[in-house]
Amino acid sequence: MTDIPIQNIPTYTRKDFASDQTVRWCPGCGDYAIIAGVQKTLPGLGIPKENIVFISGIGCSSRFPYYMNTYGIHSIHGRAPTLATGLKIARPELSVWVVTGDGDGLSIGGNHLLHACRRNIDLNILLFNNRIYGLTKGQYSPTSLPGTKTKSSPMGSIEPAFNPVAVALGAEATFIARTMDTLTRHLEATLKDAAEHKGTSFVEIFQNCVIFNNGTWEHVANKSTQDDNALFLEHGQPMIFGKDKDKGLRLNGLRLEVVQLGDGVTEADLLVHDETNDHLAYLLTQMDYPDYPVPFGVIYRVPKPPYEQQLMAQVQEARVKKPSADLRSLYQADYTWTIEAEAEPEVTIVDTAETMAISGLDEAYIDEMSEQLGELPPEMSSKIDPMADITQAPIAVLHQGRTPITVMPETSVAQAINMMHEAGIGALLVVDPSNHLDGIFTESDVLMKIAMKVTDLDNRTVSEFMTPNPDTLPAHISIAHALHLMSIHHYRHIPIVNENGTVSGIISFRDVVRYIETYFDRE
Amino acid sequence: MTDNTPQFEEIDSVIIRFAGDSGDGMQLTGTQFTDASAAYGNDISTFPDFPAEIRAPAGTLAGVSGFQVNLSSQDIRTPGDAPQVLVAMNPAALAANLGDLEQGGIIIVNTDNFTKNNLKKAHYENNPLEDDSLRGFVVHQVPLTTLNRKALENIPGLSSKEVDRCQNFFALGVTFWIYDRPLETTRAWIQQKFGKNPAIAEANLRALEAGYYFGETTEAFQTRFRIRRARLKPGTYRKITGNEAAALGLVTAAQKAGKPLFFGGYPITPASDILHHLAGMKHFDVRTFQAEDEIAAMGSVIGAAFGGTLAVTATSGPGIALKSEAMNLGLVLELPMIIVNVQRGGPSTGMPTKVEQSDLLQVMFGRNGESPLPVIAPLSPGDCFDMAIEAARFAVRAMTPVVLLMDGYLANSAEPWSIPDPDTIAEIEITHPQVVEGETFLPYRRDVVTLGRPWAIPGTPGLEHRLGGLSKAPETGNVSYSPDHHWAMINDRKEKVERLQDIIPEQQVYGPKSGPMLVVTWGSTYGAARSAVEKAEAAGLKVAHTHLRYLNPFPANLENLLSRYKTILMPELNMGQLALLLRGTFGISNVVSFPKVQGRPFTIGEIYRKIHDLTARAN
Repeated sequence: MTDIPIQNIPTYTRKDFASDQTVRWCPGCGDYAIIAGVQKTLPGLGIPKENIVFISGIGCSSRFPYYMNTYGIHSIHGRAPTLATGLKIARPELSVWVVTGDGDGLSIGGNHLLHACRRNIDLNILLFNNRIYGLTKGQYSPTSLPGTKTKSSPMGSIEPAFNPVAVALGAEATFIARTMDTLTRHLEATLKDAAEHKGTSFVEIFQNCVIFNNGTWEHVANKSTQDDNALFLEHGQPMIFGKDKDKGLRLNGLRLEVVQLGDGVTEADLLVHDETNDHLAYLLTQMDYPDYPVPFGVIYRVPKPPYEQQLMAQVQEARVKKPSADLRSLYQADYTWTIEAEAEPEVTIVDTAETMAISGLDEAYIDEMSEQLGELPPEMSSKIDPMADITQAPIAVLHQGRTPITVMPETSVAQAINMMHEAGIGALLVVDPSNHLDGIFTESDVLMKIAMKVTDLDNRTVSEFMTPNPDTLPAHISIAHALHLMSIHHYRHIPIVNENGTVSGIISFRDVVRYIETYFDRE
Repeated sequence: MTDNTPQFEEIDSVIIRFAGDSGDGMQLTGTQFTDASAAYGNDISTFPDFPAEIRAPAGTLAGVSGFQVNLSSQDIRTPGDAPQVLVAMNPAALAANLGDLEQGGIIIVNTDNFTKNNLKKAHYENNPLEDDSLRGFVVHQVPLTTLNRKALENIPGLSSKEVDRCQNFFALGVTFWIYDRPLETTRAWIQQKFGKNPAIAEANLRALEAGYYFGETTEAFQTRFRIRRARLKPGTYRKITGNEAAALGLVTAAQKAGKPLFFGGYPITPASDILHHLAGMKHFDVRTFQAEDEIAAMGSVIGAAFGGTLAVTATSGPGIALKSEAMNLGLVLELPMIIVNVQRGGPSTGMPTKVEQSDLLQVMFGRNGESPLPVIAPLSPGDCFDMAIEAARFAVRAMTPVVLLMDGYLANSAEPWSIPDPDTIAEIEITHPQVVEGETFLPYRRDVVTLGRPWAIPGTPGLEHRLGGLSKAPETGNVSYSPDHHWAMINDRKEKVERLQDIIPEQQVYGPKSGPMLVVTWGSTYGAARSAVEKAEAAGLKVAHTHLRYLNPFPANLENLLSRYKTILMPELNMGQLALLLRGTFGISNVVSFPKVQGRPFTIGEIYRKIHDLTARAN
């Protein structure tokens, strides 16, 4: 590992970071300005050149590492954050940069971007947003505005656009900023802030694609409209913008509003930027042209321990706990026995702390065993969470050992009612000779359809009054699921059927209550 | 071994299967029986067979979980073909396993679970304990639930659910008595595992002992058996599964290379245990990363390899499918890394908990472009240790991803493992280049012997360079679409894999050096095939066996070796994938593929019969 003392770092210039490769972006591409900004920023970071790594995916922006005289990988589409993550874990002392675009980072690689932010691994992610696929010659991207006409959307895109800074905020990034290719000094300052932040730094860089989406950022890039359409955020400063510095942002209820200074509105009424406020950060990410000025600068920045730091702390902790990490004892970390020529085997049983995990299923079994008592005193042991259990336990456990009582469709109503009475149950399953379910005959059928209406109970059959083809459930469905069905449809009984449609049981609301009751039986 | 009391019958081996609901703790019961037997000095081989569902409905056929153990005084290689003893905790367990049981075998059932409802769930119309259907077996009917409940009376703080959960230890106790196993290892295990919950520990201990003494006091069991101790080579042993061995091998490789071990993985059956084991070995500077998906896991491995660690991932076929693009990136960046594929039943999600060898062609060819990767395959659980280290040697020598092709059977089966002396394992030499004054660093200047390129790692002043997935020029590695450059690089990458032959040991043959038949196997098929060949040999058949651990490249002498036999029989747990490779590679037409794709390993009998039939037909 190279822990070079600070004083030995050579004084770099921008040129030290340019590789010998010919840059091949289209003339006029915003990427030129961005790479210039990066190459101007790196010398001021105090990081040895050999400790800097640029990793990209696929796309125009992803050619970036080839033009940097640092370590670098031009990887595969969307996956740059994953390589960067592995590298940072392997070598926490390196300064690792991810260069991606709106397609690479938010479409094919969306998942990785989210998880890099969530983990807060110490990467600097630069997302060049030109709202178009450039390298594949002009299809709409996940940040293209609805209505954008491209080769793949000749009648206009019908997809809503992703807002990259809002995505990063939702993914819990700890540093979120926005800048633009043409904002030379702002770009450099933002990159420096990003580099200095410990954890995932997410920087959206508005970038112009001269060929396929020229002028997409014109409202903020054009000097004549920039002041009125852009808000440059500074921590601790009131949010003022406009050519004459005469407009500001104020909180109105839970929303931001643009106000004109003067006429009773003073600077004191304006919101002051607080980059540590996640609620404010959300409001800022939602501001867009033309209703609001577009925010630039650091939207959100909070300290939080980076992933790799915590991982290495665990490694360190493990090494402190077991300072003598020798392979011999690792191999013997299970019970061992020694075979000596024609002698009784000798058994050694070692401390379980060292023994390996046993197979997943056994683990589950043991956990369940231990859970029964867990760390609780024995008298409290029945207090396991019934709600958690009913989401797991299948309804099969409710009717164990009990066969459902069934009748034929032609059974008389009188006989059916008699059977229900004798068995003390509220429902009968009506089945055909092959045990397939025809319907369900319940006490509510008796109450609603028969009582006081039908007199000739001996000659009327259950098929006339039953609920035909009732909802059924297979036995492996969770109790919670059944409870949910009962609740929304007001069922008191649900038949259980096998895969081939034959009846295997019935569960009642009462069964569920009884089951849950068992959790409280010793209180 | 001097005990000659009349009730003991001395036997050389027994195959026992424990079966019950997946929640009954059958894997645990089988493991405990195995541990006690290994400690007693038997050779062991186990085969867990569990459903994919964590908790299928209780009592159903779908929920049956089994664990088979083969105990022997001989050197054994498989968990055995047909069990001779079946411990069935409920009707479903009996129904699901009876077909496998040897005629005349012993059945121990928990009669308490043979209720109307459970019988129905197992699709029994009549109670098999009452009709005549178990004629021809020795059936021991034990009311396990009742007996266990009685034994555990008066333990304060136990619910009836907890009491019933100890049934498996009661059953274990019964089998311990019948097979004269010592209780010590299980006693110790219970104390360690449940020591914090004295009531649970007490309950399990009592259940175990009650089961044992039930065997002694009841007159139900007329005979006890004693399996003679195996004559294993002297040494210190432990029991090991393939996943455990792979994890130990990977840590060893990293230590021998003087590197941190980076493991990036995404949980997938049956490979997850490798991640679990390694996550507990952080004191060896093991850095495990549970990625957001298979692709990310592979990407992280590439990044970590670039950073100079020994970088590894483990997955199964579906994961390999997702990783393929990134594996190819690793291949063109020419960075060392290990990809473990613990094969399972496919295609698609297939049978996650069952075994197949059907990813061989996937790892050989399942990537775009010309993309040769070294592929090696262990032959037994313990061999996963050696081959994991071998994979690391290959990776750093040829600077390439290497595929370690395991399978679910190797991963979960256990066997005794003669613990090696770590000092006898050779170091893995790695040199990272440093800047040479006046010389331009060429990231793709190849070693003249191995054709590996220099592994320059970030942090090395003066060696800043860029790697990428685009085609590149030799030496500089600069992006190039030149036809000559592309051709040269394609050939170099092919050649460097082939040159691994220089360090692959000569392929050995068991049996006659030439003759009418050679059985060729790879992976976990080794055990059944070798035993079948020995059996055939004993029956006077002329048959040889060779087992391939190196699948790409093949050992240098393989072509010559194959040419000396008239028929080449290839049992594989796939539709003939290695057979296709041998036919294509060597242009031979005398290969008889013997496929089996049923989610289960070959039995010795299956291969033996095939050898026998082919020989008979030839005569």
